[in-house]
Amino acid sequence: MEKSITEDDVISLCGKVGKILLTSGAETSRVESTVEYIGKAAHYDIACHATITALFVGTNNQSRTHLVKVRLGDWNLQKVDEINTVSRKFVRGQLDFHTLKESVEKIDRKVIDFNWPLKIIGAGFVSVAPMLLFKATWTDLSYAFFVGIIGYLGAVLAGYRIKTPYVAAGCGGFIVGFLAAALQFSGLGSSAGNIIVSALMPLVPGVAITNSFREIIDRNTISGVVRAVDAVIIAGSIGAGVVIGTSLCKLIFAWIGG
Amino acid sequence: MHVLVEFIVSLASTVGFGLITNIPRRSLLPAGITGSMAWTVYYLVLQVNHGLILPNFFAAIVIGILGNISAVLFKVPVNIIYVPSLVSLVPGGILYLGMRSFTLGQESHTSEYLFNTLTIAIALAVGFVVAEVIFYRIKPLLMKLVQAQKTSD
Repeated sequence: MEKSITEDDVISLCGKVGKILLTSGAETSRVESTVEYIGKAAHYDIACHATITALFVGTNNQSRTHLVKVRLGDWNLQKVDEINTVSRKFVRGQLDFHTLKESVEKIDRKVIDFNWPLKIIGAGFVSVAPMLLFKATWTDLSYAFFVGIIGYLGAVLAGYRIKTPYVAAGCGGFIVGFLAAALQFSGLGSSAGNIIVSALMPLVPGVAITNSFREIIDRNTISGVVRAVDAVIIAGSIGAGVVIGTSLCKLIFAWIGG
Repeated sequence: MHVLVEFIVSLASTVGFGLITNIPRRSLLPAGITGSMAWTVYYLVLQVNHGLILPNFFAAIVIGILGNISAVLFKVPVNIIYVPSLVSLVPGGILYLGMRSFTLGQESHTSEYLFNTLTIAIALAVGFVVAEVIFYRIKPLLMKLVQAQKTSD
């Protein structure tokens, strides 16, 4: 029965697995080891090299290599977990190759998501940054809860509509900056700066930059550097968005007030 | 009292980020507790040492150890615990402030903030490495415990 699995089958499945893992935010070392485990369990000596933009799968001592292009995706850790579960089952021999293939296809097609109300509340909780507790006033933090939700929603919705990279993050920053400045100028909030920093927590790429340093230390230098540069540019577009939003708000208030 | 408030807010923060990044439901609570323990350690170390490196370093060790333990117990990849529990520690806000100063042309602020970002990120990453070394020592013990529980079930 094992004979029915060809090398091509294994390589293409491994490419798909790697692609799902990479776009859902797994680290490159994890992608490589998962793919190689699957190959080993299917009795092929698979070698995999993953960078953040491309994935190479091939068998050792053979010339055939499969190249998969990947684009940086958003976090979807549930997919990482599901792939991990099925691949572990396969390695332990509880699944045969064809069921593995089917379930990988299913995971690839499935849109796994928490429902929107939960995500909105989640974004709100993230927006109350523990970093600012007892530094910012409680009213500012509670404004940040709502401003953060609106900013997060704005960024996500903009991400659906606008495919140009980094614009979505800038939109989120713009909304947060505008609202926070409006709160300060209208006298409701005491410090726009605190509201902005707190409300930007769901958007800023802090986790990405920490993970990039973990990868660099792990000698995955290329993907670490790519992630770090990506994070800096996202932060830059958020910063630019906030600056534009605050200045626009200032202009509007000067125009109304003056 | 302050510690309790910090604990609860960071728990909410971590679970919230878990919801945004779609972590599997069974790992929401362990991730939340890991994140809030790490934040509490950060807060306590900060009372003694006002630097950037030590508090982040110890918090990363806590995340590394607790994260690996809950990854074994709840059978999830360890990154799924790491990502949300890092959210209150990571230098995202400072990175944003740095890039904002960059946009506004304030060079001295830019370099200060970016430098802080780098310091925090490296402190966290080194903390993870140390935690993983410690965890490899605990792992056989933990495995034995898990096995014992499985046989008693």
